[in-house]
Amino acid sequence: MNRTLARSLPVAAIGVAILLPMFMGDYPLQVARNIMLYMALAVTWDMLLRSGQISFGIAGLFGLGSYASILAVVRGGMPGWLSIPFAGLFAGLAAFLIGFLILRLRHTYFSIVTLALGEIFRIIIHNMHDFSGGPEGIVVQQGIIFGGASRNLYWLTLAGLAVALLASYWFEKSKVRFALTAIRNNEISAKSSGVNIFRWLLLAFVVTSAIQGMMGGIFVMSYGFASPETVFSADFTLLPLAMALLGGIHSTVGPILGGLLLGLVSEWLKLQIPYGHLVVYGVMIVVVILFMPQGLLGLARKTMRAAGRNRK
Amino acid sequence: MTKLKTIGLSRRFLGLVAVNKVSFSMDEGEILGIIGPNGAGKTTFINLISGIIMPGEGKIEYKGQDITYMPAHERARLGIARTYQLIHPLENLSLIENVMVGSIFARGHSMREARRRAADLCGELGLKDLDRDTSKLTILEVKKMEIARALANEPEVLFLDEVMAGLNADETKDLIATVQRIARERKLAVGVVEHVMGVIRELTHRVIVLEAGELIAEGPYEEVSKNPRVVEAYLGGAA
Ligand SMILES: Nc1ncnc2c1ncn2[C@@H]1O[C@H](COP(=O)(O)OP(=O)(O)OP(=O)(O)O)[C@@H](O)[C@H]1O
Ligand SMILES: [Mg+2]
Repeated sequence: MNRTLARSLPVAAIGVAILLPMFMGDYPLQVARNIMLYMALAVTWDMLLRSGQISFGIAGLFGLGSYASILAVVRGGMPGWLSIPFAGLFAGLAAFLIGFLILRLRHTYFSIVTLALGEIFRIIIHNMHDFSGGPEGIVVQQGIIFGGASRNLYWLTLAGLAVALLASYWFEKSKVRFALTAIRNNEISAKSSGVNIFRWLLLAFVVTSAIQGMMGGIFVMSYGFASPETVFSADFTLLPLAMALLGGIHSTVGPILGGLLLGLVSEWLKLQIPYGHLVVYGVMIVVVILFMPQGLLGLARKTMRAAGRNRK
Repeated sequence: MTKLKTIGLSRRFLGLVAVNKVSFSMDEGEILGIIGPNGAGKTTFINLISGIIMPGEGKIEYKGQDITYMPAHERARLGIARTYQLIHPLENLSLIENVMVGSIFARGHSMREARRRAADLCGELGLKDLDRDTSKLTILEVKKMEIARALANEPEVLFLDEVMAGLNADETKDLIATVQRIARERKLAVGVVEHVMGVIRELTHRVIVLEAGELIAEGPYEEVSKNPRVVEAYLGGAA
């Protein structure tokens, strides 16, 4: 019975997610879009974490994809819809090149460099005035994709989330899981078992960066606007991280669960205390790391195991 | 036939020469003991051969091919496997998944094929209940898993770094028989590091003795154990 439930739950969730716009007004749809955007970022952050690498560069790649998309449209005349996969490709290619430099680094060094990377992208965009629009940002003159119809924008973001989920599922079900887990647990053992560590890290870094860039494309195409302060905002790094930690790391379900909860809570908080939501994320990260490092999923597993034991 | 050969292999750590101009060779089907007091350089020697660290000088040849500076994962694919003195189970993978890793990445088998082969290997080593967490295994089971993981590479040369350490007499006997059978059936060249001389006497065809990184003696155990330099190295180490 448990198994049929486990099978039907995702199907039901997908059904609800697709049909939601039929029953919702513009404001809730926009909230839902936001949450899905963060979920996708949270899942991709977790995918790289499965190899043991902690990235603080989500906002960097998200912002890079955002600008790749909007500049392709505004300066290159690319159709809006096409600029979204283009943003993914661009961020993926950038990650591929950067990967050769930074994927030899580990631990804090890797994390700090990914953080710096975002900062570098932001400063470059900031200073390329004539091309990028500089600090004031840049607007899509041709009008927003889908004429800004909120249902369509919702479905577009949902499609982005679906890409992230499919990639995460692939990471979980294929030999990618073996490679990344082996690397995370013990690189020396992994090498001795024939794992080409650099190659698998590069794969994880490129795939997750491409999806983060693509989400950036979806974001700017939905609003028709990008500025360094909005698309490179620390929110895009901290929130996904807090969501994944809260839900439970090293899984697909965890970041989704955490994203749903934290997304709803933060939306509510934003209305109560402006900027209060940021404090909540900070506190959340600390509390989760200190008291439930396995997140809600881990807590659920523990409770189920305890319940199972009591029944016996 | 010579499988593996080193010529003047050396490695220092800062001022310390951990392995000093060691030349040796290993033949197909041969079980070679590698002995010496604590800190003699045995583990470092295996690390050099398996590519975990790189040598300062000298040469390593595997089946006639120069592999001196080849990355570790490529050596694993070529057919060199090892276990670790300080065991490194992959704790987020189950018992059978630990064994599958070598099959997937060193051999390129599909996941299904890797699972089948891993199950066979575990069966051969007497491991049961293959979906367990590695934290649930006994010491003997962990040691067997380490051997199974190395064998999953389908190696031609295998190094066992103190796999018998921590086992009781019965378990040791069991594992000696297992290693002998595996080596015979696969025509493996096996390098065995052990501190218990009974194990070395029973298991090996030939031994090399390291002391302070240098190879000081070589030959059948019975012969080498009477060699005055070897006796002194051990007494000196014990005193
Ligand atoms: N990574 C390293 N950095 C610095 N020194 C090292 C390193 N690895 C080994 N050594 C030193 O090299 C020497 C040889 O060590 P090694 O572990 O190879 O000895 P061993 O023969 O395996 O000893 P044991 O029987 O205790 O396992 C020791 O003095 C050790 O401290
Ligand atoms: Mg040792």
